[in-house]
Amino acid sequence: MNKTESNPCDQVLQTLVLYIDQELPSEQDYQFFLHHFQECLTCKELMVYERDALQFMKNLLRNSCNEQAPQDLHERIRQEIAILAGQPQVEFFSQTTITEFTFDGTTSIQVTQEFTQEIRHDFTEGQ
Amino acid sequence: MDASETEVAVVDRATESAAQKKARFERDALQYTNQLYAAAIRYTKNPNDAQDLVQDTYAKAFVAFHQFEPGTNLKAWLYRILTTTFINTYRKDQRRPQISDGELEDWQIYDAASHTSDQGRSAEDVALDGIADLDVKAALAAMPEDFRMAVYLADVEGFSYKEIAEIVGVPSGTVMSRLHRGRKLLRASLADYAKDRGFNRGSHE
Repeated sequence: MNKTESNPCDQVLQTLVLYIDQELPSEQDYQFFLHHFQECLTCKELMVYERDALQFMKNLLRNSCNEQAPQDLHERIRQEIAILAGQPQVEFFSQTTITEFTFDGTTSIQVTQEFTQEIRHDFTEGQ
Repeated sequence: MDASETEVAVVDRATESAAQKKARFERDALQYTNQLYAAAIRYTKNPNDAQDLVQDTYAKAFVAFHQFEPGTNLKAWLYRILTTTFINTYRKDQRRPQISDGELEDWQIYDAASHTSDQGRSAEDVALDGIADLDVKAALAAMPEDFRMAVYLADVEGFSYKEIAEIVGVPSGTVMSRLHRGRKLLRASLADYAKDRGFNRGSHE
């Protein structure tokens, strides 16, 4: 924060959102704000206005964005976890085979790589 | 069910059996399914993708559950998996609008001048009283993704700047900038919706 600012109102207003969000870096900063609000009614009213406006918007958002997961999803998740818990977790497996052939004094090397991709559990096992 | 039996704060992950791990995961992690689903709808804007995203998130979380430090913030940990899964998988084929986060000073330059002449709530806020759920969802969905995530994680889920920084994988200063700008954008957008719906009853003290 810019502490070189001489005007305390400027200091408070520049970081008011941090005060409202309770994200000020230190306890001293809160003391500074509280002390200033005792002295400056204009800043205090502005803080209350902004705090209430933000709370109002939070309430709007929280009341709107509260979708419940469909029952089917809860079941799908439990099934997938049961499957994952019941099997050794082979996520990625690679095997390299090196074979040497020698003909007439020349050497040729054959390299074979095998990959097993992540196992997807898209099926449902009988319980 | 012996849920009360398993209510132990201290977990020894080294000696925990697979069945115990599964029980602990189901007890501690699955309670967030509804919340993660609502967040996933904000991310994907689509209930089907949201369901797949939440299922993928839980599958990844379960496989990685031994890495989770018991006693730390499980909800934030799940949100981080949700967010990175979304970014890496579901967002891949979507073309992403380029958003500048602006300078760090952006959130510091507080726009106090626009409010100092008002006493009490502005016409904008009075109008918002009548706004519909669908409008709130639409306004949020129309926001650039980075701003939408920051606002959602802070103002709906109540995560701190630091937690959001960890969930989204950006510095705290960027979170502040996105959050501050996102809130302003959302507020203006909601006011527009309210006006279109004819809820604007004008200013009164």
